[in-house]
This record gives sequence, structure tokens and C-alpha cells, in this order.
Amino acid sequence: MSCYRSCVLALLLLGCCGSSLAVSDGQTPASGAWEYLQQQFYPGRSIGLLDEKYMSLEAPANTPDPAATPLTLRFGDAALGHIRQVRVIIDNNPSPVAATFDLALGARVAEIGLRVRIDRFTSVRAIAETTDGTLEMRSTWVNASGGCSTPPSAAAAGTLGDIRFRPSPDAKSMLISIRHPNNSGFQIDPRSGEPIPSHYVSHIRFSTDGRTLLEADTGISLSENPTLRLASDQPLPAPLTVDVVDSLDAHFNASWRGSVAESAAISR
Amino acid sequence: MRRIRLRTFVAGLGVLLWPLAFGAAPSAADALTVLQLAPGVFVHLGQQLPLDAPGHDDIANIGFIVGSRCVAVIDTGGSMRIGRALRNAIKQRTTRPICYVINTHVHFDHVLGNAAFREDRPSFVGHWALAAAIARSRDFFLQHYADDLDQPADAAQIIGPDRAVQHTLDLDLGGRHLHLQAWPTAHTDCDLTVLDDSSRTLWAGDLLFRDRLPALDGSASGWLAVIDQLSQLQVQRTVPGHGPVTTDLAAALDAERRYLRALIDGVREQLAQGGSMQQAIALVAAAEKPHWLLWDSTHPRNVARVYEQLEWE
Repeated sequence: MSCYRSCVLALLLLGCCGSSLAVSDGQTPASGAWEYLQQQFYPGRSIGLLDEKYMSLEAPANTPDPAATPLTLRFGDAALGHIRQVRVIIDNNPSPVAATFDLALGARVAEIGLRVRIDRFTSVRAIAETTDGTLEMRSTWVNASGGCSTPPSAAAAGTLGDIRFRPSPDAKSMLISIRHPNNSGFQIDPRSGEPIPSHYVSHIRFSTDGRTLLEADTGISLSENPTLRLASDQPLPAPLTVDVVDSLDAHFNASWRGSVAESAAISR
Repeated sequence: MRRIRLRTFVAGLGVLLWPLAFGAAPSAADALTVLQLAPGVFVHLGQQLPLDAPGHDDIANIGFIVGSRCVAVIDTGGSMRIGRALRNAIKQRTTRPICYVINTHVHFDHVLGNAAFREDRPSFVGHWALAAAIARSRDFFLQHYADDLDQPADAAQIIGPDRAVQHTLDLDLGGRHLHLQAWPTAHTDCDLTVLDDSSRTLWAGDLLFRDRLPALDGSASGWLAVIDQLSQLQVQRTVPGHGPVTTDLAAALDAERRYLRALIDGVREQLAQGGSMQQAIALVAAAEKPHWLLWDSTHPRNVARVYEQLEWE
């Protein structure tokens, strides 16, 4: 789906409907963007709200950085190996679908961490589809403003497409950092005053020996220098290859060969 | 009919002229409380409040230095109200003109009172990077601090420098010189210090926080490097950007250094283990918490910023 179409739709819908502030059971209420997206992605399907033990979504209520708000999805024992897809939606962002993760059959992903731009006070939700076709949702509020229009930081410099792997000592989790401005299209160059065109990571694929483990469709809601953190209940397979495609169809990739010591030094 | 009109006119004129008859000195009520640290050196100590609390426009230490020729203002507070009250405090103490308004950096609590001094036609002085920093902050200030400006709030009230300090600059106030120094990126990318030669008073701006947790908007490692240089200075007293005035600059800097060091070391350790930003926020420098005010509203942001910076070192 094109960014612009989703932006316009989301803005129109938000403008018409606004959002209710009533909160029940720790879940966030429906907003205009969500009602529309629910119709688009999950028409006529019921969505369950299982407990935190099955799936949880953690985000800071007051973000330490609107342009890089950490979100963590965790899956409990009952969910491990039974998740087919997870979609992360930031209701009040101009492009609400932040990422859609497709997991390989049986992939034991216990945790997915990402960093996102939050444009204004919003509910953030994660909708998981299990291998037997049921849907589960968790959601939370994040208070922030201006994350989509924050000017690029100095840390955004460097070589486009550099990829770093940071495994945990037990190799059960891996932090992957991708050097990319991930320009949202809502930023202004502070020097020239000109708008910066959107330029973002659109697809990330994790594979081992050619076998896909997890793929993500991503967009302008990811922070600059996008990061993904994956954790499992088992050591991650090696070699672990990351393939990245961006909105200008540039391709980048890197592989982690399996040594815990071999962390930061890997690049293309 | 005619007489009444005339009398009304005269009475009205009297009301208009009334303040002039008693001179321009404002009453104590609308002037800021200031302390005289040394002859001609005045500071108003800001309150240690969160950025979103009532009174958030009065959190920074601001003040002025009076020479035999003219007055230099150092930071103007977080609102037109505070800027005017600072100006009133100056007018109560001297009739000398205000020739300089110096800003130590871009943050709202130090610059939003600038426009209160426009009528004095001072030179606005700042770090060479301040003009760009003000330019990119204007929208943010108008969005978040509109109530702290005169209504209707507009960008013209947010005044940047007309004189840039490249490295150092001396300002002559008559009988005393101020030595201004522009620093590399530390607390922000536009930090400036002011040293009054006659009283050996250093205005450190937000390069020095005391009691209030240092807020990082620049570079933690850059800030540590600047701290090392500042601690070499021989001064009588130092006015921090936030917190009480100190006569022991080195000790005050030590506390700040200890926190920044813990921040950097802690984030590096988390990154080396593949720790998430949230884990870093929860764990890094936790032992520092009892030593600082406003930890919960500032520390997570500091960790996030250092994490983003060190991720690619």
C-alpha cells in the first residue's frame, strides 16, 4: 500500500471520527484509523484479547524519544512457534502500519523489539495471527509528539546500508541495527528549510542457509537507523543473514556467522 | 457638555502620565528576586521543577552583570513574563543601558524571555551554532510554549543571536570584561560560557547542573571532554544553569562527570550484550538515582540518546 494513500486515508478518517478517550481493561479504544485498518486487514474476523502471558506489548507511556520510541512484543510459552504474523499499528501516525512481521512456520520467536516514530498521543497495537488462524491483540498508549517530523540527527550520518549484529552472550537474542535515514517524508531539512523526501527501509528478511525465518514489511514509522531485536528460547541459528530493501529499491545484506564475540564488526 | 469632556480628557491624561511622574522604576512585585554574588553580578535562581509543571518558565538560573558603561544580561528565562521581570529587576538597580543579551544555549528556559529586551536594542550574542538551533526550535517552541509568549504567540518573539561567538569573544561593559567561550557539542550543540574577569565569576550555563539531573541534548562524550577543560579554570564562583551557586567548581563538575561516565559505560555494556533500549533505560546508571532531582523525567531520555549515539561508534 502506498504511503501517501494510507496517509491521506488516515488523516481523513481521523479528521472525521476523532478518537474516544475511554479506556477499559487496560486496552485502548478503537480510533478512526484502527476501525478502517481492521476492515482492511481483518474484515469480519473477531479479534481476541488474550492475557499478557500469551502476548504482551511494552512501550513507555511517556516516550524517551518521540522519534525513537522502543516497542517490545513478547510471546509466552503457549504462543511460541504458533505465531504466523504480527502487525504493529500506531493509530495516530500518518502511516499507521509500522511493520508487518511474517514468521516461518514453527519459528520460535519469543520477542520482537523495534523503534518507531510516534507523531502524537496514540494507541499502539499489535495484532497477532496464529497458525490456526485466530487473531489476538494487545495495545497500549504512548504519549509523544513530533516523532515523524523530528529532523535527522547527526547520528544518521555514516554508510547507508551498514548492518550490525549484537548477539546476547547466550546467542538467544540478537540486536540488528541498520544504517539508514528512514526519512518519513514529514521532516524538514533544518539548513535549507526544504522538505526531505521519504526514503525508508521497506523490507527486512532474516534467513539461514536460504531458509526464511522472518520477514518484515516496514515503512516510515520506523526510526532512523532502524533496529530490530529478536529473541528466542533457543540459540539463534547461524549463519543468520539479513537482507534489507529500501523504498528506492536499494538492497543491502549482511550475515552473522555465529560467534558471539563477532558482534559489531560485520558489515556488507 | 464641553467642560465634562475636557475634564475627562485631563483626568485621562493624568492617568496616562502618572507612571512617568514617579520614574520608570517598576514595583518590587513584578521584578524578579535576584542575589548579588559580587559587585555588579546578579543572579536569579530558578526552581527545580519539571518541564511541564506550572512555573516551568522559571527553572533556569538567569541574571545580569553591570559595568560602568552598560549591562549584559545572561539568559532571559522561559517566558516573556520572566524576561520582563528580569528586566524590571535590572531597572530597579541601574539606569545604565542594556547593551548585550547573551544566551548560553538554545533551550526554552534560557531564551524565551529574549523579546522582553527588544526595546533596549541590545546585541543578542550566542554560540555560532545558536542561530541555526533557534531556527529549528521555533516551531517546537510555538507548539509547546505558546502560552509563555505574548499573545498571539508568533515566531518573531523568538529571537536568535545577531552576534556569533566562533571560539572566544571579549565584551567590554566598562571597567570589566566578559570572556565568552563557545564549546564543542556537549549539553547541546551551542553551549557558551561567560567569565566575568573582575569578580572571577563563571556562568556555566547548562554545562553545569547541580542537584537537578543533567539533561543531555548533545553528546555525552563531548560533554565529558568539556567538563575536563572547565575543571581547569581558576574561578571564585560558578553559576550553574540549574542549582545553587558554588565556590568549588571542580567538585560540582565531579558529580556531573560521575553521572555521564556511568551513562556511557552502562549503555556500552548493554550494547555489547545486545541489550534493548528498554533494558538500558531500566538498568544503566541506576546507582546514580539517589543523587539527583527529576530522575524519572530526564534519565530515560538521556539513556535513549546515548544508546542511539553509541550504537554506531
